[in-house]
Amino acid sequence: MGEFTLLTTDACLFALLAVAIVYCLQARRHEHLRAPWREVWRRPVAVGASVVLGAFMLVAVADSIHFESRAGSGDGDVLSALDIALRPLRTGSETTYSAPLAAYAYSRESVVDESGKLTRIYPRLVHGGAHLADPGREHGADVARRAAAGAASGLLGGLALSTLCVLAVARRRNRAPVAAARLLLAGRAGFPWRSLLGVSTALLIVIGICAALAPHYHVFGTDKVGNDVLYQALKSVRTGILIGLLTTLISLPFALALGIAAGYFRGPIDDAVQYLYTTLSSIPGVLLIAAAALMLDVYMTRHAADFDMLAARADLRLLALCAILGITSWTSLCRLLRAEALKLREIEFVVAAQALGVRSTTILRRHLLPNVMHIVMITTVLDFSGLVLAEAALTYIDIGVDPSMDSWGNMINGARLELAREPAVWWSLAAAMSFMFALVLAANLFADAVRDAFDPRLRQFGADRDLPAATRES
Amino acid sequence: MDKPPIVTDTPTAAPALLEISGLRVEFGAPEAPTVAIDDLTLTIARGETLVLVGESGSGKSLTALAVTRLLPTAARITGGRVMLGGDDLFALPAAGMCAVRGRRIGFVFQEPQVALNPVMRIGDQIGEVLHQHLGLRGAERQERTVEALRAVGIPDPARRAREYPHQFSGGMKQRAMIAIALAGEPELLIADEPTTALDVTLQAQILALLKAEQRRRGMAMLFITHDFGVAWQVADRVAVLQAGRLVETAAREAFYRAPRHPYSRALFAALPKLERRVVSAPPAAAEPLLAVDNLRVEFPIRRGVLRRIVDSVRAVDGVSLRLDAGETLAVVGESGSGKTTMGRGILRLVPLAGGSVRFRGEDLAALSAAALRQRRRHLQVVFQDSYAAMNPRMLVGDIIQEGMLAQHLGASRAARETRVAELLAQVGLEAAHARRYPHEFSGGQRQRICIARALAVEPRLIVCDEPTSALDVSVQAQILDLLRDLQQRLGLAYLFITHNLGVVAQLAHRVAVMHQGVIVEEGPVEEVLFAPCHAYTQQLLAAVPKIGDGADA
Amino acid sequence: MSAYLLRRVLYALPILLGVNLITFLLFFVVNTPDDMARMQLGDRRVTQAAIEKWKVERGYDRPLFWHADAGGVARATDTLFFTSTLQLFSFDFGKSDGGRDIGTDLKQRMGPSLAIAVPVLMLQLVVALAWALLLAWLRGSRFDAWSAVICVAMMSISGLFYIIGGQYLIAKLWRLVPISGYDGGLAAVRFLALPVLVGVLISLGSNVRWYRTVFLEEMGREYVRMARAKGLSDARVMFAHVLRNALIPILTGVVVLLPSLFLGALITEAFFAIPGLGSYTIDAIQAQDFAIVRTMVFLGSLLYILGLLLTDLSYVIADPRVRLE
Repeated sequence: MGEFTLLTTDACLFALLAVAIVYCLQARRHEHLRAPWREVWRRPVAVGASVVLGAFMLVAVADSIHFESRAGSGDGDVLSALDIALRPLRTGSETTYSAPLAAYAYSRESVVDESGKLTRIYPRLVHGGAHLADPGREHGADVARRAAAGAASGLLGGLALSTLCVLAVARRRNRAPVAAARLLLAGRAGFPWRSLLGVSTALLIVIGICAALAPHYHVFGTDKVGNDVLYQALKSVRTGILIGLLTTLISLPFALALGIAAGYFRGPIDDAVQYLYTTLSSIPGVLLIAAAALMLDVYMTRHAADFDMLAARADLRLLALCAILGITSWTSLCRLLRAEALKLREIEFVVAAQALGVRSTTILRRHLLPNVMHIVMITTVLDFSGLVLAEAALTYIDIGVDPSMDSWGNMINGARLELAREPAVWWSLAAAMSFMFALVLAANLFADAVRDAFDPRLRQFGADRDLPAATRES
Repeated sequence: MDKPPIVTDTPTAAPALLEISGLRVEFGAPEAPTVAIDDLTLTIARGETLVLVGESGSGKSLTALAVTRLLPTAARITGGRVMLGGDDLFALPAAGMCAVRGRRIGFVFQEPQVALNPVMRIGDQIGEVLHQHLGLRGAERQERTVEALRAVGIPDPARRAREYPHQFSGGMKQRAMIAIALAGEPELLIADEPTTALDVTLQAQILALLKAEQRRRGMAMLFITHDFGVAWQVADRVAVLQAGRLVETAAREAFYRAPRHPYSRALFAALPKLERRVVSAPPAAAEPLLAVDNLRVEFPIRRGVLRRIVDSVRAVDGVSLRLDAGETLAVVGESGSGKTTMGRGILRLVPLAGGSVRFRGEDLAALSAAALRQRRRHLQVVFQDSYAAMNPRMLVGDIIQEGMLAQHLGASRAARETRVAELLAQVGLEAAHARRYPHEFSGGQRQRICIARALAVEPRLIVCDEPTSALDVSVQAQILDLLRDLQQRLGLAYLFITHNLGVVAQLAHRVAVMHQGVIVEEGPVEEVLFAPCHAYTQQLLAAVPKIGDGADA
Repeated sequence: MSAYLLRRVLYALPILLGVNLITFLLFFVVNTPDDMARMQLGDRRVTQAAIEKWKVERGYDRPLFWHADAGGVARATDTLFFTSTLQLFSFDFGKSDGGRDIGTDLKQRMGPSLAIAVPVLMLQLVVALAWALLLAWLRGSRFDAWSAVICVAMMSISGLFYIIGGQYLIAKLWRLVPISGYDGGLAAVRFLALPVLVGVLISLGSNVRWYRTVFLEEMGREYVRMARAKGLSDARVMFAHVLRNALIPILTGVVVLLPSLFLGALITEAFFAIPGLGSYTIDAIQAQDFAIVRTMVFLGSLLYILGLLLTDLSYVIADPRVRLE
């Protein structure tokens, strides 16, 4: 371990976390903020999704605490807490492809055996299954035994967590633990505990299995240069989450300030803002990103001396990508906010504030801003999943993150041609796709709940229906 | 708690067309339902008009929707039955119900603005009914469509049938909706507050039309309203609903002569009646508090490629008026007359096109933005929609304090909070209410908070823009009492904007009648309301539905 | 109304100019033409003379915004900004950095792009509308609930997965269609089937959900209650009243997608090696061909603005309330 260093994106992520914490504290004190969140937490799907999101977030944060390794240690130049925790995965690389949980390499190699004969065999892996004396006989049983042990410890962890929750509920409601447990199981404890504990336990079991197998096998196999795929997939979590969050963080101030001001003041300010966002949004996003990425490449090549550290270079590129994505995405939010501000300025409480002699800046801050925040909240969570998916697509056409950076896009990009091999090398793709799917699905489900809770318009849905006459007394 | 017994009249001799018995409608979770309609029993005879009267939330509209099985998804029928001419409506299959709706029961909704399909021609919306229920097609259907429009008094019906709803005025839209409802030649017409969204003069026309059509066709009518004046105009019998329960049914004359149920009597007592009332005006001062001279407010009309201003709508076209301290001047007019815009113009909440607004001799129209902000503490405003008038994300205490902060009143937070408590007491609320959110209050309470907010900056004049129009009569009476009381105690002057002439008679000292952006008549209440000179004022007064006159004769 | 449309057309000019300014800043100011020349000529030890030659060939040797040495109007016109802008606005795209004529390339590649994008758009609309209408009709049913799950799952799958999965399953394992490539004429159908299927699937989930929301919003309106009160059947209410009103926001939303007709789905084209405008752009990005990328940005924006104009026009046609404004 070495000296603590703070990459730019780390700082952004921590700043974002700080903002989130401040918001939570605010929300606790204000009923109008708390009410929609209570609505969100009433939904089992949202609670389950947030458990998954939380796990991903934890990985991202662990991967954002960076240390600069001392000179000569031979490791990469900057390591994160996650790298250190996953040391066996990071260092246990093979020479080339190997299938998930394999003990032998993917391709034959020519080896000279004891008798001096040249044979082509599947050689044993350096790390995967290295502890087995005779993989052919022991392999299956060993994997099963370890997986079962991992699953059992995961289940145990889940049960322990459940017990804690039951005790907490029992204490809070002044009930006997058994009664509290019954309440929880019946789903009548006022909070979807079943969903929370169910998803947590499932997650713990998966983690348990991986943790039990990972020191001895490559759970998701290895890639072309022999690196562990599970490790790559985990490292990519940070990239995905950063793109999803930082982009919004960068675009938010512009969209808020310009959108509200344009809607409230109208006139020339409105014309200018409208011109600005119409112009920016009329450039197709992909092309603007492509053009900017191209220019960034030229810039970095010319100023190569400034970007000597690989991590810093990749980091800057990530930040630039977020900024460009932010520029292409703020326009739609700005448009929404302007429209909302136009509506709000005519509403009586704004007129009443004007009649009371309140200054425009105060009106913007006190009356408009809090009443458009639900739009900001909804857009942020809705955009998140789209941005995570966009990263993969953009990286595929070489305008995404730096090729040296761990990302699902780079994993897919590197592996997509290998499907044509016989037998197909599918595991890198599968790992990247399933991680991405888990994150995006959780984000989408969570976003749905947030939108339903925050958008007042959606609540009055429910079209009329012919009532079944069967309800009447017979 | 003892509920007063339900008062019912003896059933009429005529055969019953619609029989509702034991109807029960619930909202919310089945385990803990909210009962919206509770054990409602009613009959309507053929050719008879039953008026269902009640305040908002009494379940009168839900009753109509339940009869036609058109309730919103959240509501359920959990008991009772509805018989229409011997057929059990709740036992019919969905297709059978389609044959009843539009054919045997016609339905007129409250807001023609939203009840007509905006992208379908008016003629097609009528023709649809003719096709569905009478199987008419082609030229015959066309002919009957035009006929239906002519019958409801739409001029040039052949051309109008090809137009879209947005090309119709409000009154015309309601006529078109009646034409749709009548197209299937129903036995029963349900009219759910059909005139509430309309001005009095249009209301009188629509009521006359409905009554005439009913008589011509011998059709029964279930008419829903909150207005006793309207009820008198159309009713044969009256039924009063209170919180989902029927409390009284009686023949019209008997009911209006002497309502028997205490709730009916309370409603009657709260009714602002258009009758002479001695309101002593304060002595006229040498200098008026407010003197408006030739005030003009215009909205530009932009046209052409460059959006140049080619013309303007003169919403307020040269209004002059004066108001003394402690006096109430009512401004009456129909929607679109410019009365609200004038109120906002006086407060300079909209840009002025000309004229002067002298407050204590100082012209507000000539002040700079900063100076105007300071003067704002003397002139305040109370709006109609008390829900929109308060930021839903602020506590009541902060809402009331907002003006004090802007005007630098109150030395410390503690001092301001003490003042908030005082103000809340003054408007009849409790100090603890300061720590709640606006949505936790009822409409009347919210309007009280809005008044407290206005009072917080110690104004001399309050512009009241239809402050009681969204309220039920009983609550309206309380708010009017409060305003009168505050005027006496604080010497406030009110510019009271309203369309309700009954309210004017109750509260105002003087009244100005506004029509198309100008004041057509102005003077003491006694003169203008009871001996009007101007033709428009006379027309307006004639259109007000009055209880006891012979409109039904 | 015609004045309104004319105004919208005129408004497009300053926007195009703005777009052009942004791309100009991005391409010529953030990095100088010298940088580009070095990048293109590849070598770090390239001579200054070679750079100058490269610049003169492309007209990049002019000053950016202001030619101080020139006289009169030429001070403003004999500049890189003015000449390059004028060229773009007159649809003279010149030669790519690789030396090919861009205009000819564009004409050639438009066909394949359209052949993929038009069927995708049409199929997408039909499938999503039908599904969403069914959901709105059967709202609250088990079918509705499961469809919601399927739609969210479909939205959560990366587009790359559809492409790679489709290629692997349908083309490689089942051998129903070729993995990639393109051919003219009717033979193109074989090559287009898979990309079109993938194109439809990629955004199906989110579209179905959006349309369903639009339908439900319309079904909550008062005129629907009125239509039911007239005794119309459910089907008649859905098709004659709800669908007609819901189509206004849906169709106008589709028109904005028109630029994608020409640009195609960039990634789909690249994966399936279809010689359309999308893969053209991607090739240019990978070859760092500035002239092509700049042209595509300009054309893309032009098409988007055209799309906006068509949106206005489609509003005018679809909504009688706007027609007589």
